[in-house]
Amino acid sequence: MATTLYLLRRLLQAVVVIFIVTVVVFCLLHSLPGGPARGILGAQATPQQLAQFNREQGLDKPLVVQYVIYLGQLLRGDLGVSYTYNQSVAQLIVQRLPKTLVLTILQAVVALVIAIPLGMWQAARRNRPIDYVITTVSFVAYSAPAFFLGLILIIVFSQTIRLFPSTAPGGDTLASVFAQPQALVLPVVTGAAAMVAVFSRYMRSSTLENLGEDYVRTARAGGASGTGILVRHVFRNSLTSVVAMLGYYVPVLFGGSLVVEQLFNYPGMGLLFWNAAQSSDYPVLLGCVLIISVATVVGTLLADVLQTIIDPRVKAGRA
Amino acid sequence: MTTTDVSKPILEIQGLGIDFSTESGTVHAVRGVDLHVRPGETLALVGESGSGKSSVALAAMGLLSNNATASGSIVVGDLDIVSADEGALRGVRGSTVSMVFQEPATALDPLTRIGWQIAEVVRNHRPVSKADAFAEAVDLLRRVGIPDPDSRASAFPFQLSGGQRQRVVIAMAIANSPRLLIADEPTTALDVTVQAEILELLRKLAVDTGTGVLLVTHNMGVVADFADRVAVMLRGEIVETGSVEEVLLTPQHEYTQGLLAAVPRLSTEFDSDAGTAAETPAEPVISLTDVTVRFGRGAHTVHALDSVSFDVRAGETVGLVGESGSGKSTAARVALGLIKPTSGAVGLFGQDLRTLRGRARRTLQSGIGVVLQDPVASLDARMSVGEIIAEPLRVHRRGIGGAERARLVAEALEAVRLPASMAWRAPRELSGGQRQRVSLARALVLKPRLLVADEPTSALDVSVQKSVLEVIGELQSHLGFACLFVSHDLAVVQDFCSRVVVMRNGRIEEQGLTGHTLVDPTTDYTRRLLAAVPVPDPIVQRDRRQARLAALAAVTTTESLEQDHA
Repeated sequence: MATTLYLLRRLLQAVVVIFIVTVVVFCLLHSLPGGPARGILGAQATPQQLAQFNREQGLDKPLVVQYVIYLGQLLRGDLGVSYTYNQSVAQLIVQRLPKTLVLTILQAVVALVIAIPLGMWQAARRNRPIDYVITTVSFVAYSAPAFFLGLILIIVFSQTIRLFPSTAPGGDTLASVFAQPQALVLPVVTGAAAMVAVFSRYMRSSTLENLGEDYVRTARAGGASGTGILVRHVFRNSLTSVVAMLGYYVPVLFGGSLVVEQLFNYPGMGLLFWNAAQSSDYPVLLGCVLIISVATVVGTLLADVLQTIIDPRVKAGRA
Repeated sequence: MTTTDVSKPILEIQGLGIDFSTESGTVHAVRGVDLHVRPGETLALVGESGSGKSSVALAAMGLLSNNATASGSIVVGDLDIVSADEGALRGVRGSTVSMVFQEPATALDPLTRIGWQIAEVVRNHRPVSKADAFAEAVDLLRRVGIPDPDSRASAFPFQLSGGQRQRVVIAMAIANSPRLLIADEPTTALDVTVQAEILELLRKLAVDTGTGVLLVTHNMGVVADFADRVAVMLRGEIVETGSVEEVLLTPQHEYTQGLLAAVPRLSTEFDSDAGTAAETPAEPVISLTDVTVRFGRGAHTVHALDSVSFDVRAGETVGLVGESGSGKSTAARVALGLIKPTSGAVGLFGQDLRTLRGRARRTLQSGIGVVLQDPVASLDARMSVGEIIAEPLRVHRRGIGGAERARLVAEALEAVRLPASMAWRAPRELSGGQRQRVSLARALVLKPRLLVADEPTSALDVSVQKSVLEVIGELQSHLGFACLFVSHDLAVVQDFCSRVVVMRNGRIEEQGLTGHTLVDPTTDYTRRLLAAVPVPDPIVQRDRRQARLAALAAVTTTESLEQDHA
């Protein structure tokens, strides 16, 4: 009962958040100079042609009216038609989204599987040489831009030792993506590197904080070993704050896919967004932002639900 | 337990020194400590904060922090803790020697069910299956007096009261029948009635199994109640040691004498003069009339206050006492205007707080000063002492200039017996007692007509508590403000307040002159509260304990169990 109410409340919040996101993005897009007419009709287009395009697409109407029209379509499930692809935005997203999801989920899983034990291991060896080495590597991984890291990886593993291909799996279906798993390695590594750095830092500091807690002393006083305390008590307690961060990391992952998909020519949402931004394809841009904000909201919601599973106090409203 | 080696101490500490290496150099926290505990006896290690008593306790478990180094010898059973490696230490921790900690709220893993936490200690030392260890945990919970242990074993710590959590920590400590139990302030965080129950439980366990107990505490009443022998620590050294009667009744060392003199004692003498003091009826400075406060809605409603009425008159000090959850702090917050009552009226300086808004309300509230419990958290660490004290002036006396403000700050500092030069210091450079005086100076800088003090001395050592209370009392006689004094310490209230309001579960149980109500109460609840306060005289305390247990046995104990359960 309480859980249902909680979820309902969260869903309502989510709808409000997504609504606000569409308003902000709509305003931002339309305040950009240029506009889609010039992008689509080219540099040689006459002012008359531009005006005609704007009239056809309703771009000459006041911003508020345009927004109301867009919202009306949205409520009917119509995301509009792309200016450049001659396809409905919904169709484009249905084609592209699964691919990006595959890539980002793989990145997240790989990153967490490495980062969480790494962070704990570092915390247990805090301020020893190996901790400093990993900390330094983390900062390098975190501060290296993804496109730079990706290029290095391509040069080393694709051009020099020819271990992995430099382009991601092509094809329109998920089956074709999974048919070439080796082609996924470099994109996943590129996207996961920064996340490993960030989350191993979170886990390290969260673990350190928990190692200083009274219950650790109680466990030691009961004769528990250092490893036993880490595995049985500190792990779960440290995980709660990391899980909370996970929800907020969803937009970062999507943002990263922009670079990774462009770099490895992987036809997902990132590449779609990139191309749409180049040609001021408003309906596609709005659709992409909408999907990303939905994904972010769903991500934080999932993180919260996960938290109630790990920490019984959340459900009881005590934490 | 074998009876043959009764004479051989279970804990023998010789020439113990503990050094902490800090950024500002090495601190010699403990020097040349010798002590021993024999099976079946309780040694109380007493002293004020910073005396090194907790360091000694942790060193005996081999649990000192990484920046600490111990020298000398600590022999537990046959093992020298100081030179033992981690593996050997792990072997004795939780089996030969175990520990009960001060803060039951944080001593347990919040995400692990209590039964499994106890089972873990069992399995650390004996090759028992998980199911058997859990069954043992249920038995242990029964032994430490947790009601319905079969289902409670699956509870998480947050579902238990403070007293119950401490019982769980004790269950973990006795899981492998240790020969030495170290208890570091085991009842400091608990209410007096729960404290009495926990001490009774520890005493029973120690007597039943012949366990030696090292009790670390600052509370002389607890010492009188529980200890056979006492060692007094001062700045890292033991200055006096002897039987509990010797040390508490005829202390030899100057420091012990001073310490005992500073302990507020519960008087049992009916004060027939008390009536005259209140015969000059001044105007009520603040009055609560039928105040009810509810938090939450529906099934989760908490009745924090239920038809509470009392007033505080100019120049008098009213004590607000009760156990945790009784609503005493909520009542103080209502008086401060921080919580809006669900119903009922709050009159402040003759005006109705409900009808005032905005500036008028703020002006009225500038007549209230407040001192809170935590000396660390209640001062902004980023401000200097001078800025902290000047802040109320900046808010409520915008007209005055910088020079005038500095003068008022210096005056306020002087009033609380701090040097004016302290204005330039940061709060972190000050001791707990100095910080509370800064809080007091901030509260008094606007010359308030009402001072609300919420447990202002409960985080302080007794000698410091004494001087802070003296300062408040002295200023009150000069400035004539009314004081609402929230405290759980009945002895302090008896000593410091003219009237007392006893609260329980959001209701007022009784109120009256302290000389009457706290000596000859009219309700069983107040009587039980008073009976549970241990007095720092071992002979008197032995009689009080007997009387209390007899009274408890007479009436059914269900009520106190319910209390603990809640």
